[in-house]
Amino acid sequence: MDLDTVKERAGPRQFSPKDDMPQEYREAATRMIQFHANSEVMGGYLEKPFIRQAPSLDRKLAFSAKVQDEIGHAQLLYRAAESLGVKTRDEMLDELAEGKGKFLNCFHYPMKTWYEVPMIGFFVDGAAMRRQATLKSTSWEPYAHAMDKVCFEEGFHVKHGEDMLRELMTSSKANQERTQEAFEEWWPRVIQFFGPVNSQSTHHGFAAEVGLKTKSNDELRQAFLNTYIPKAERYGLEIPDTPEIIYHEDEGRYEVVEEDLDWDQFWTIAKNDYDGSYEQIGSRADRQEAVEWVREQMDSYETAHSGTAPQAAD
Amino acid sequence: MIWEVFRQEKPGGYHRHVGNVHAPDREMAKLFAQIQHGRRMQTHSIWVAPQDEISEVDDEDTSFGGTTDKAYRWAMTYNRVDASGIQEVVESEAEQRAAAKKREAAKKEEADS
Repeated sequence: MDLDTVKERAGPRQFSPKDDMPQEYREAATRMIQFHANSEVMGGYLEKPFIRQAPSLDRKLAFSAKVQDEIGHAQLLYRAAESLGVKTRDEMLDELAEGKGKFLNCFHYPMKTWYEVPMIGFFVDGAAMRRQATLKSTSWEPYAHAMDKVCFEEGFHVKHGEDMLRELMTSSKANQERTQEAFEEWWPRVIQFFGPVNSQSTHHGFAAEVGLKTKSNDELRQAFLNTYIPKAERYGLEIPDTPEIIYHEDEGRYEVVEEDLDWDQFWTIAKNDYDGSYEQIGSRADRQEAVEWVREQMDSYETAHSGTAPQAAD
Repeated sequence: MIWEVFRQEKPGGYHRHVGNVHAPDREMAKLFAQIQHGRRMQTHSIWVAPQDEISEVDDEDTSFGGTTDKAYRWAMTYNRVDASGIQEVVESEAEQRAAAKKREAAKKEEADS
């Protein structure tokens, strides 16, 4: 299929492995899905140490189930990326360990306290879910299919995240203050989740033309702010003064003052070159190496016991 | 020779164990299974497998788990928050609710049969 035909036919779940897709499409889709999969892994690893810090058994069960889900989402997504025939799952995991794999800005920051957990569990996951819901109609069918399962599970994650926030914000004054501090630290990062502001070009980018992306970052940020600012306020969180956010009531639109956000840091993170990047990527790489023997055992078992090796995530 | 029989009602559904047939070979087993287990009820496909080929592990051999209440896995559990303003969360919860209903129905069907 040539690129013009792809653009003409682009629509929800239009293309699948039985279509002969041009290299440009396959590379763009791989880049996007690999980024998404990497982010699931890095989010899961960032949250994992907090399972043992959960304040109650109920939270511990729920939070460990949630972290497990995120790793499962990564497997689904690597599978969807693999189906494009550009990179194998192993290659993508190795790239992540070597610091070449890119992932979401929010997961480059170390997390220190439980008060930060709902910042990821409610606001970052909420932002991610907003985006993922629109990807149910991406043009690469295996990607959309993975989103069905991911969105099915994310309802629990986001509601549980909101419940953690509710719990903290209805408890002691000290807890409320610490939660507010965590919120002020994470809020600008969450807004940067949607990329640079006022970037008209993203909407007309290649990914949009071939139907991989169905909404622009600006549209997604608007929808997120519309929903989550009232949420934060309902729990008594104060929206920080910086970045300044101007609400245009007549248009029902939020304007984020771009220069109030630290874009140098954002672009350093995008290159995996932030202090936290090295820390997060390094600790995950260590853990990948630590369980190398398990993979080796499984590989040798498969080779010895069957002619055909099952595919990853079977 | 005994062959265990598994019947599937509709495409995409599970093959459920429905009993067994005595037959000298695979072809006869398929034929008998059709007559005994496929004719009277809606059937889309039938599997037969030699009884010797079925392996079992039961609750005396191992502990299966699966008895933990997993309510914490479902959005419906977290009712002290109101997610009605977040459309995609509402949709996800509706899907989870529908899936729970389906599981209940399957459980009931199993208990009735």
